[in-house]
Amino acid sequence: MKTTLVLGAGGLLLGFSLSRIGFTDYGELHGMFIFADLRMLWVFAGAMGLCMLGFLLIDRRLFRPTRRVHPGVVPGGILFGAGWALCGACPVVPLVQLGEGKLAALFTLLGVAVGTLLYRPLHARIFRWDTGTCDS
Amino acid sequence: MSLLEEYWPAGLGALALAAVSLGTYLGTGRLLGVSGMLARLLRPRETMRLARSERGLTDTEALARALEAATRAEFGGGCDAVPLPPPPGVTAAGRPLPASIPRPPWAALAVFAACTALGGLLSATLSGTLSFHWDLGPVHGRLFSEGPTSWVILLLGGVLVGFGTQMAGGCTSGHGLSGCSRLQPASLLATVCFFGTAVLLSLLLARIMA
Repeated sequence: MKTTLVLGAGGLLLGFSLSRIGFTDYGELHGMFIFADLRMLWVFAGAMGLCMLGFLLIDRRLFRPTRRVHPGVVPGGILFGAGWALCGACPVVPLVQLGEGKLAALFTLLGVAVGTLLYRPLHARIFRWDTGTCDS
Repeated sequence: MSLLEEYWPAGLGALALAAVSLGTYLGTGRLLGVSGMLARLLRPRETMRLARSERGLTDTEALARALEAATRAEFGGGCDAVPLPPPPGVTAAGRPLPASIPRPPWAALAVFAACTALGGLLSATLSGTLSFHWDLGPVHGRLFSEGPTSWVILLLGGVLVGFGTQMAGGCTSGHGLSGCSRLQPASLLATVCFFGTAVLLSLLLARIMA
């Protein structure tokens, strides 16, 4: 129950602030990617810095390297980056955009769902490297 | 109020995103990662089955009792003087390890997804920009035209985002925020790759379509 409440409040704040930051606005995001407007870059640099400070205060063990550098990290990152430039969306963005009335995000959301579901069977059959977790 | 009409200054945006990331960790014991949550949300039956079997493993007291009972059954009584070691998943101080915290149940993931959309609706309503339309604004229109052509681009981009984040094991939240801030090498590498690619492709598109 507590998890549901925390994730509900977190989702609400995440959706609201991503929208107020301009992260769900393709024009604003494209402006960041071509370095025409650095404001959102500072948002992320600042968020990273604050998170680092917070995690340092909470528990230093969180900084132990636990995430495996597996062969999917680089190609996966490249594919994600290419998709991000095309549709302007990291996975949570189409949901927020739908809330804002941007109905075209239905296509983005459908694509994200298809891509997400497509990966695991391909990993099981073709890639098969150890990701270091039981998650797909 | 201008904070509802204009986009937020960098400091306020950073504060809000850090609050979500740190708040999620403090409130649930697990680090925020949207692409992983989405993958579990899209497989409801599997997520519910895993949650049921995980519950049996994360009740560490029950596990310790079962171990003790099995030990007594095997070796008999008389071992009361020996203190039990902390059960697996718990440090010597009795603090649960992050990996032993159960994943959010499917319903909590659904609430999270619904609330992100609600957050967008709230923002658009309060800023007076709520309107329903089938395009992503003038810049997307200039780069990829409008109507069916742009929808195919969105679909294709979405597939790349979904596939790529699963392959890399995280997205802007899991690798970018939760991972980079803890200096995880895999996250730093993934973030350089996805951000670098998005920058290069955007610069290319801006040049071609200028």
